Amino acid sequence: MKKLVVLLMVVLFAVPSFAADLAKAKAEGKASFYANITAVEPIMDAFNAATGVDGVYTRISTSKYLATVATEFEAGKLTADVLQAPMPIMQTLKDMGVFTPYRSPSAAGYPDWATRDDTIMQFGIEYVAPIYNKELVKPADVPKSYMDLIDKKWFDKIVMPDPSSHATTISWLVGMKESNIFASEDEWMKFVKGLAANKPMFVKSFGPSPGPVESGEKLLAISMPKYIITHAPAPLDWVRVDTLLGTPRGIAIAAKAPHPDAARVFMDYWLSKDAMQLLADKVGEYVLTPGVKSPIEGMDKVKVLPIRQLSNKEIKSWGKKFQKIFFGE
Amino acid sequence: MTRRVPLTPSLILIVGFLTVCPVLMLVLGSFSEGFGSFGVFTVQKYVEAYTDPALAGILINTLIFTLGSAVVATIFALFLAYINTRTNIPFKFLFGIISIIPMMIPHILFAVSWVLLLNPSNGILNRLIMDIFGLKSSLFNIYTLHGMILVEGLLDLPIAYLIIAPAMSAFDVSLEESSKVCGASTLRTLTRVTLPVLRPAILASVILVIVRSLASFAVPSIIGMPGRKYVLATYIYRTISTGFAADYGKAAAIGMSAMAASIVLIYLYRYLTSESSKYVTISSRGFKPALIDLKGYKYPMFTIVGLLSFVLIVLPVLVLFYTSMLPYVMAPSAKAFARMSWKNWIDVIKDPISILALKNSLTLGVVGATLGVILSIFVSYVIVKVRTVASGILESLSFLSFSFPGIVIGVGFMWFFVRTPLYATIWALLIGYIATYLPYGIRPISSAFVQIHSHLEESAWVCGAGRFRTVRRIVIPLLIPGIISGWILMATMFVRELSLSVVLSRPGTEVLAVQILRFAEDGLWGRLSALGIIMIFFSSTLVIAASLLGRKLTKMGIVGN
Repeated sequence: MKKLVVLLMVVLFAVPSFAADLAKAKAEGKASFYANITAVEPIMDAFNAATGVDGVYTRISTSKYLATVATEFEAGKLTADVLQAPMPIMQTLKDMGVFTPYRSPSAAGYPDWATRDDTIMQFGIEYVAPIYNKELVKPADVPKSYMDLIDKKWFDKIVMPDPSSHATTISWLVGMKESNIFASEDEWMKFVKGLAANKPMFVKSFGPSPGPVESGEKLLAISMPKYIITHAPAPLDWVRVDTLLGTPRGIAIAAKAPHPDAARVFMDYWLSKDAMQLLADKVGEYVLTPGVKSPIEGMDKVKVLPIRQLSNKEIKSWGKKFQKIFFGE
Repeated sequence: MTRRVPLTPSLILIVGFLTVCPVLMLVLGSFSEGFGSFGVFTVQKYVEAYTDPALAGILINTLIFTLGSAVVATIFALFLAYINTRTNIPFKFLFGIISIIPMMIPHILFAVSWVLLLNPSNGILNRLIMDIFGLKSSLFNIYTLHGMILVEGLLDLPIAYLIIAPAMSAFDVSLEESSKVCGASTLRTLTRVTLPVLRPAILASVILVIVRSLASFAVPSIIGMPGRKYVLATYIYRTISTGFAADYGKAAAIGMSAMAASIVLIYLYRYLTSESSKYVTISSRGFKPALIDLKGYKYPMFTIVGLLSFVLIVLPVLVLFYTSMLPYVMAPSAKAFARMSWKNWIDVIKDPISILALKNSLTLGVVGATLGVILSIFVSYVIVKVRTVASGILESLSFLSFSFPGIVIGVGFMWFFVRTPLYATIWALLIGYIATYLPYGIRPISSAFVQIHSHLEESAWVCGAGRFRTVRRIVIPLLIPGIISGWILMATMFVRELSLSVVLSRPGTEVLAVQILRFAEDGLWGRLSALGIIMIFFSSTLVIAASLLGRKLTKMGIVGN
């Protein structure tokens, strides 16, 4: 029922203006969208309703994204019109010649750093935060800063993705140092070593990280605030730190898009306030669109910063360092 | 016996085409720079992979994990197969189904169930034991190598059971009777006559479970990673996931050692079962498997098997059902029971992609398993009855794709199919499934073949029947238990297949694995559990139908006449 109301609202009151030719896009019939982002079906439904173009969504996991797109592109079999992924993957694909430049008018008002590139538009940040079980952690015990996570009371009570292999977690830890979250590098290292000393339980990625906190197996997780929305009514809340960090998310049009007009219509729609509001409301994502409010309580008061794009070499090198610290190897 | 038949080269061509192409792509990728299968030649990926000082410890863990899983699965399978096929225990049919239930459950879900039962913080069974005995800390910790071995062993139990049970049921009673006439007890007869004759089936089971657990990812990632116990599959994952540019060429370089280990195991198996005549129990004299009367032990034994089946197999499935009724993962409590609803079930049933995926998976299961079993019958015939160098090559070829870790082989198929018109079609999935899981059809049928004496075929040829007619009229009816086992293994595997599906599936060709992955990546365990139970229901229907058909065909057959 709620879904129907949302669709109706989109159709009646919120038809975005498309720079691209909607008539040509309708003639092409569909726009194929490759993404690693989760649960974007509400946006696809709204796009179909708003434009009359069929949005076809192919979800590819992050670990297989580059291999799949690169293989299809090299074989001349890439069927995607529009592609979305974390920025490091998008940059690699851009270097391979997978994308074509396109500046969408819908990106007007986005931060300068997000629209600087003429090909890849950055629309959101895959933000990371400590989350906790609000039924099991007493209000007085809730951490108030990152440094609070190294308190001994959290020994064997934390879950996080493996910091020796999970690229986003490695980037996040390095980002903490480079974004001056801590007063000095020594303080940062104290945090990293303190976190390691608390013997966190490792999982392979963010996906399985909220589960143990929901069930009470663990109390805290280095995870993503979006799960507060997607896992509702689970008793999750996020630690109210001053600054959150994350990997930027990018979107671009394929150089040999089978449906070029539909691709541009899709890109315009995706970057519009309506679509991004849906992404924030339904998927809990942090988006860069001006005027879009996060439904997560307290998120309007926090600074969310993009992490510097680490090269693969840097990620591997830091992964080895974190392996020594967290595994004692 | 060393007869050359034109069948062998034809099968080498067919099986070789199915399995060599993706593996060849992986070999090329492992020697290429970049992310694709073709690039500038380099040995750097091998150097990086095999000079890592952590690898030695990983290999020791892998050895313990795979051997342990094989021992657990085979011992349980021997016990359950013996009880089900050779004794008069009540509710046999039920125990037969229970023994193969783990085959129908997505491995991710089964592993998560055991985490909910035995995690050291608030595992359901741990809490129960602590409350009953007043303990201060948990008795069990699932996040250990022992925990991994237990869960992987249970997951691979159906493979072992479906290989051993047909061989157990096709057992000539006269061998055991001779032993007893000579004064041996039932236990001595079991250890000195029954088990030695079953050696090919036991070895086949051990080898298949070792190879499967070597390629397994669900248990090492869900149970091993949190306990910081890494094995080859999670080491490969670590290798490809460190960085956003996953290097599957390097993963393939590591996977080559798994493939080499599998090929060595196959040749070891052939060597250990080279005197095939020793294992023949069905000859032209006629045979009838005998049932052992448990007498006074009938109901105590039923209680033991029932309790074992409940704790090890039924309880994790009940945990799945419990999880499917909750809005999020909750430890059992009054609050949890108060929040139960059918919402996750309704969400899954109303989801058009889930329904399409179910339809596609069932089609692939039925059609794929039928085609796979037909191919397996011919391949098994050559492997067992034509023991030449060529048949050894054929056997190794059948294991090529199967022995690669799952997270790598899917990419090999992608690199291959993308160069064909089949890419992103349902046919790519069908061919990929059959090519990868051919050993599931071959092993149970081969184990049954080993026990059939060549006198039977020779008699048919003397009477003027051709080779094909002999196979159709004499051999196949005797193979029914093995054929049914192979079909069940393949069909249930195809219904829940994940490794290939996540790479080859596209909009319109979604299979259940795609939905499984979506729900798992989003951490939506309630919906995932509901879908898992729906999968178990449909797989059980397939298994029961196949088992009933098998019984009917056996009754219509010529066994013993």
